[in-house]
Amino acid sequence: MCDFRGPLIAWMDGELAETEAAAVERHVQGCTECRDRVASYEEAGSRFATYYSQATQATPAANLSSQTMPRWLPWAAVAAAVVLIAMALLPRPAKQSPAVVPAVAVAPPPATEIDSNPARQVQPVARRHIAPRRKPRSTEWALAQPAIQIAIPADAVFPPGAVPEGISYIANLSLASDGSVQGVRLQP
Amino acid sequence: MSGDSLPLNLPLPRFATDSCEATDLYCELRKPLLRYLAGLGLSADEAQDVVQDAFLSLHKHLAAGGSQQNIRSWLFRVAHNRARNCQQSYAQRKGEPLDPVFDAVSHEATPEQFVLEKEKSLRMEAAVRSLATQERECLMLRAEGLRYREIGEVLEIPTSTVADTVDRAIKKLVEKCNV
Repeated sequence: MCDFRGPLIAWMDGELAETEAAAVERHVQGCTECRDRVASYEEAGSRFATYYSQATQATPAANLSSQTMPRWLPWAAVAAAVVLIAMALLPRPAKQSPAVVPAVAVAPPPATEIDSNPARQVQPVARRHIAPRRKPRSTEWALAQPAIQIAIPADAVFPPGAVPEGISYIANLSLASDGSVQGVRLQP
Repeated sequence: MSGDSLPLNLPLPRFATDSCEATDLYCELRKPLLRYLAGLGLSADEAQDVVQDAFLSLHKHLAAGGSQQNIRSWLFRVAHNRARNCQQSYAQRKGEPLDPVFDAVSHEATPEQFVLEKEKSLRMEAAVRSLATQERECLMLRAEGLRYREIGEVLEIPTSTVADTVDRAIKKLVEKCNV
């Protein structure tokens, strides 16, 4: 009966220092009993690994594909939708009849003029930025000005750690004359 | 060991800002972490939450200039501690850690093979249940390919204790499973 007390399992696992590992290896090569022990330890370790793998594979968490959508993403989408809906439901500017709008009103007035007119002001809470004015293509589009942009933080779109620096998403909203949303366009 | 260490390119100096590196690390370690947490007895939802929380913590840790060494054992340790917080005690949970799964035996196996596999699984189940919590955790982390040093970091015990615990646990399995 071999009374070798060397750390056979640590040796199997490659956890011994070089000199100690060499000593264990020399002994194992010359000892049938210890070779059998090593074989049974390896078998037990292998059976445990199989058992562990089977037991945890039954758990849906371990089977989910790495492509699965992060759980927080739907909430981010809901938050973005709430912002858009809130924009659409904001108090609308007073309706102006085209008949009473003078012809010069077709052209977009200066920004200071808009700010001084309470009826045309958009709630500052929702509006982060007023887009630069563009030349209107028609009277309707001129009345739909100005477009409104909403900045969406990139960390609401990307998983933690994957947020590109300095990138936000912008939602361009165009309002019609009655204050309703005419168009929504997302862009980075 | 039951498997080689994962081929991670550590340290990760740009993890906090490099989305590709972060994604690679997430893909490499997500499943091993989920397996380990399932082995501890967490439900699927709890395990998902713990893993996401662990990666968020890693991001904050590195962004704050924390150590970039031993990221794998860092993540396992955070997940392990979160799991501990999730459950007052493993014994109080509905599902026991490492519940056996006989369905995992191939459906193509003959009836004799099925009976043999089931018998082996039952013996292993009894053997695993006879292990102390720390012995079971050491074996699970070893099966995930962690080195003794890393296991010690996860469980916050000395490497020599890990070696003794693994040695004792394997010998118990040999004895109980008649290997």
